[in-house]
Amino acid sequence: MKNEYSITLVNKEVLGPACAVLTFSCPEIAGTGRPGQFINLSCDHFLKRPFGIMCTDQEKGTFSIGVRKVGKGTDMILKAEEGDTFTVLGPLGNGFDFSDVKNLLLIGGGTGIFPIFFAAQYAKDQGIPCKVVNGYRSKSDAFLYDRFSCTCSDFQCTTDAGDLGTKGNVMAYLETMDESALSDTTVMVVGPGIMMRKVSEWAQAKGLSCYVSLEQRMACGIGACLVCVCKIKAEQEGKEFVHKRCCKDGPVFKAEEVIW
Amino acid sequence: MSISVKVGEVALKNPVILASGTCGFGRELAEYMDLSKLGALSSKGLTLLPRDGNQGVRVAETPSGMLNCVGLQNPGVDAFLETELDYMVDSGAGVVVNVAGHSNEDYIAMVEKLDPYKEKIDALELNFSCPNVKEGCMVIGSSPKAIEALVSDLRKRTTLPLWIKLTPNVTSIAETAKGAEAGGADAVVAINTMLGMAIDIRTRRPLLHNNTGGLSGPCVKPVALRMVHDIYSAVKIPVVGCGGASTYEDVLEFMIAGASAVELGTISLVHPTRPVEIVEDLEKYCQDNGIEELSSLTGTLELWR
Repeated sequence: MKNEYSITLVNKEVLGPACAVLTFSCPEIAGTGRPGQFINLSCDHFLKRPFGIMCTDQEKGTFSIGVRKVGKGTDMILKAEEGDTFTVLGPLGNGFDFSDVKNLLLIGGGTGIFPIFFAAQYAKDQGIPCKVVNGYRSKSDAFLYDRFSCTCSDFQCTTDAGDLGTKGNVMAYLETMDESALSDTTVMVVGPGIMMRKVSEWAQAKGLSCYVSLEQRMACGIGACLVCVCKIKAEQEGKEFVHKRCCKDGPVFKAEEVIW
Repeated sequence: MSISVKVGEVALKNPVILASGTCGFGRELAEYMDLSKLGALSSKGLTLLPRDGNQGVRVAETPSGMLNCVGLQNPGVDAFLETELDYMVDSGAGVVVNVAGHSNEDYIAMVEKLDPYKEKIDALELNFSCPNVKEGCMVIGSSPKAIEALVSDLRKRTTLPLWIKLTPNVTSIAETAKGAEAGGADAVVAINTMLGMAIDIRTRRPLLHNNTGGLSGPCVKPVALRMVHDIYSAVKIPVVGCGGASTYEDVLEFMIAGASAVELGTISLVHPTRPVEIVEDLEKYCQDNGIEELSSLTGTLELWR
């Protein structure tokens, strides 16, 4: 039976003024969490807050998440100190399916870079050739740059400011990619909605299979309350869409099924 | 020592019922708790035809609660009978089926579809109170006369216990409860969510894309308790309390106010194991306090004079 776990913050690595990597002790999530899955973390507000898992360490029994301040809940979580306790549900959601992946192209933006890191690490462990393209605002915003560089032999980034990597957003880089470098490639993208949409359209035009990780305002995270639905193309004839639950049916969906 | 209760003729192993709309048909919460330990679970509100529910943002957090505007997303009563009812029966919890119509005809059609399954269903909960659909539901539920007329019609069509889930968005919930009683209801459930709003100060738009939503969670408990007591004082049929209960003490408060059983659910969206913990806590409370029958607490409130 699944449970709600009491967990302790064991490490806080501040990345910037409103962003940090938090590592918690929780053998259960460390043992079973997969890339693309998320956890629902308590804060001092009523509802829990969902975060994509950034990595797990099975030996130490820990997992990490990246947190960026969005509102009061994430602000409180970012102010937590090592030794503080939380409650958590997880791992939640379906996660990415790597079973038929021959070559991987991972694309991250915003807080999407954190779950993308988990996917990159997993690809490395599994020996799946993997390229990562992260879109940042500027060099000062290029969180996890060193970690991605160490984990992934082919790590590229773009910045809106143009002070690191290709100038522009991730599309600016993708459009320079040679067709031959994309054969048998699966695309996984986590980031702002507009970015995932643009990348999906690009991948579809190239005939690449593409997965996106959708985000919606969430409550339970376990599929019971139906508040976090997204529009997915219906299989049934005469019906345009069905509402699927981001938390339980997703958060990972095939890009071609999503109605943006 | 017993924590079993009765809501009219409906016997439950304990007073804890998962409220409609907070537990689907039980499948998701079954991953976190043994549903057979619960008194009952009330299904997601069913409509005659499948409904996609409202589009866009459906939730807004509030201090100690939440607003939702799901809008009765559900597979429809036929699909429920085909794929969900047996699951609920097999879960071992009591089975309450929540139905929400857009019109009197909808309720009639659904009750007639459900009546043949009376062996599998403990009670029908008629949702006259959903704040998130534009027609039906709360309109009927705001008028004691309309409630009485519809309940008395439905009463003739089924022998299943009829529980009427009332809206708090009325001047006097005692009056709507009286309407339900006059129509022949077996019990009333109070309260459904309270109509509310949340605003984004940057965009000056409501956070919810339905503009308004139903408020639930611990923040509504004081209102729900007062309304349960109002109803208990006004009618003879049993009251099922509902609104923000999150601990065994809350359940006891509802029972003392007049509830025969207590629905809860917003709390299990945050702590999905909580409902069975509450059942265990109620047992311990009775043992520790020498209470033979938990049901003896119902309506024992003594008001200050």
